[in-house]
Amino acid sequence: MADSDRHPFLQGLSKHRGAPPTIVVIFGASGDLTARKLIPAIYNLSYDNLLPADFHLVGYGRKPIPDEEFRTMASGAIKEFSRRELDAEVWAKVGATTTYVSGGYDEKAGFDRLAARIAEIERGVGSDVQCLFYISTPPSVFGPIIQNLGLSGLGSRYLGKPHQSKVIIEKPFGRDLDSARLLNAALRSVFEEHQVYRIDHYLGKETVQDLLVQRFANSIFEPLWNRNYIESVQITVAEDQGVGTRAGYYEQSGCLRDMIQNHTMQLLALTAMEAPGSFDAEAVRDEKVKVLKAIQPIALEVASDVARAQYLDGMTGGKKVPGYLAEQGVAPDSSTETFAAIRLSINNWRWYGVPFYLRSGKRLARRVSEIAIQFKAPPGTIFGQKDQFDLAVNTLSFQIQPDEGLSLILNAKIPGLETRTQPVKMSFRYATTFGSNTPEAYERLVLDAMIGDGTLFIRGDETETSWKLYTPVLDFWRSQGRKGMEGYPAGSWGPEDANALLASRGNTWRQP
Amino acid sequence: MAGIFDALPGEEVPVGTISGGLNEMWSGAAADGRPSPPTDDAKATQVNFVLHLGLRTDAADAVSQFETAVRFSRCYPCRVVVLCPVDDGSAPAEIRAKVYGECSIGKSADDTRCCEFVMLSYPRSARIYLENQVSICLSTDLPLYYWAHRFTDSARLADYRYLLTTAKRVLIDSATAPAGAIGFPWPRPENVRDLAFARLLPVRQMIGQFLSRYPVGSLSGDLRSITLAHGAEVSCEARVLLSWARDRIRACGAAGETFDLVPSADLPARAFALTFAYGDRRFFACRADLASAHATLDADFGSGRTTMPASVALLSQESALSEAMFF
Repeated sequence: MADSDRHPFLQGLSKHRGAPPTIVVIFGASGDLTARKLIPAIYNLSYDNLLPADFHLVGYGRKPIPDEEFRTMASGAIKEFSRRELDAEVWAKVGATTTYVSGGYDEKAGFDRLAARIAEIERGVGSDVQCLFYISTPPSVFGPIIQNLGLSGLGSRYLGKPHQSKVIIEKPFGRDLDSARLLNAALRSVFEEHQVYRIDHYLGKETVQDLLVQRFANSIFEPLWNRNYIESVQITVAEDQGVGTRAGYYEQSGCLRDMIQNHTMQLLALTAMEAPGSFDAEAVRDEKVKVLKAIQPIALEVASDVARAQYLDGMTGGKKVPGYLAEQGVAPDSSTETFAAIRLSINNWRWYGVPFYLRSGKRLARRVSEIAIQFKAPPGTIFGQKDQFDLAVNTLSFQIQPDEGLSLILNAKIPGLETRTQPVKMSFRYATTFGSNTPEAYERLVLDAMIGDGTLFIRGDETETSWKLYTPVLDFWRSQGRKGMEGYPAGSWGPEDANALLASRGNTWRQP
Repeated sequence: MAGIFDALPGEEVPVGTISGGLNEMWSGAAADGRPSPPTDDAKATQVNFVLHLGLRTDAADAVSQFETAVRFSRCYPCRVVVLCPVDDGSAPAEIRAKVYGECSIGKSADDTRCCEFVMLSYPRSARIYLENQVSICLSTDLPLYYWAHRFTDSARLADYRYLLTTAKRVLIDSATAPAGAIGFPWPRPENVRDLAFARLLPVRQMIGQFLSRYPVGSLSGDLRSITLAHGAEVSCEARVLLSWARDRIRACGAAGETFDLVPSADLPARAFALTFAYGDRRFFACRADLASAHATLDADFGSGRTTMPASVALLSQESALSEAMFF
């Protein structure tokens, strides 16, 4: 919305200042995500005076919890997980409008109680209030919640107006193409697509947003950003932790569903998409879908494009750690992959012939997420003698976490009478340039949903396009059982098979 | 006036060796075990910032603005040049320089942000050399922001035309500048921002968000007057706030109403009360005490009376700087 189209008393304030009166309803209010991310995000938005003047938080869950106890839980979550200390005054303001409604997710009466609470709040406010429903529950109850939001009329409040109801939904957006389509159908039976905000918190990270700025606000990259100059693209989302206490979830999920299909594909889409006509949500998401649709089907049996593996006993952080199969809650014959690497080809004019290598895994050498653009080597006519000239591949890497920033590897002459070369690194780091007290991804995303900006959210056709690509891989792996499952020592960079994906082109994985 | 340069911290260095002086300062800090930039990219990488202290700045005020600049640069590492003019009659006709640096450590030792200050003391007779001297103290190619503190006379703007033209933003503070300073013949008036307006952001936001719930016709129709009563310490902010309210209500279509700024001994020193009066029962009232950070908004535009408490405070001066510079 252009500034001149806003209410005159909001003009001149940034679009992030001026959300309409809002009730955020969190389903799964006593859950881990609520405590770790959502409550601290709301608190920090309040701290920065970014919440609307009439803001209410309503927790909804199966457990009967008195309002006061919910407020205590919320303030405890802020103390433990917020990037800022609990400020009594700021909390007093948020806490005063924080309440709880108990009810089942498949219980219509519970949603009627919720609707009554919302009506009561709206009467108190004295004007129309927007509802933002945040579904922070296991996927098994997505369906009943969506259905009951429809039946109770909560999903269609003020439809077509800026303060219409909105729903935020957390991944997984299905576990294969069929279930993704079912979930989208369920959502569309109650909500219009523009009311739905599928959240991938990676898109709320500063560096991920900066990727678009770097690409499209700097003219030096665009001429190079294609098959003529880029040798390959590597996207890594590595964790050093094991499965921990989440074996129950992870056994049903695995690395491809948990990381590759969503986070790494979002990073790929932003890296490879064409320039959108504007920074408008639909324009950006149209381009993302276009590039996802241009990805070739993944080869599985001959010249396979995929590798999977489970971590074995090893050492992380100087301590011995058990392999995946020895983790509590993991089946001894589990065929769930804890590591996946994929080679993708994009069949369009810009990227034809440029491999995109994606990898993710648990218990890898370090926790790091990055996108590395590796450029082609210059012709070897001048600096061809390898013993004399140590030339590195020019690499532009976007470090998503930790130590957000970007770096460029160049080759430089070593000072001296003889001409010798050495790679040097130019770095830009967010922490040293802008300070580290930047908003958490959830703060940005919750506020964006409140003001109705879907740019950093995933559209339904994006999830289906991604699942269309990966469902055959999941089906193939399921048919193979443990056949072809590699192992890699905990604390390493993954299995040998992953290296083989790159070897045919003479590429190697980075160790970021 | 020579006092302001001497009052500021830092180590005096020959003007010809400012860069060397900065390097020595950092190596000295490292040798003493004090925080210092781990690599060159940790310092002065974001913006160039000129703090130009006007002739009427006294020593205490200079130190206060300097400290604001330090706090600002902790969030936005920058190269700061502080210009300290000296009355011609009271100083030798030469430029003097001081350097000062500071690093702050964030969440980890790797998260170290550093800033560098160069203080230049100059007699007005040396001003023709000043812009060249400033240019070699700044970081090439990065944007320049110019804080004109206590500029009282538009006649001297021409002396600094190049810097004022190059600056991406020129900041003044109507709390200390003379009335009408915003309307001085600045080389690029569209780049001039008032820090008092920036400080008021939370107040504008609070009122704006509250009033944006009502249709513009309800706010503007048959509006008779807008009155802003204020305590003794916020007269400047009150003037700026009333001007903003006037612009906004005019954008709603109002015309013909009166605007009154009323100093009030009944209000606490840092409080104000904004009232919209109409020809019928409609009303809007906002009372805010900035000292206790408490406000109350009260309105009835025909759909029932709404009373809402809110917490509100002015932005700190360093936050106002970033608001005025970057947004």
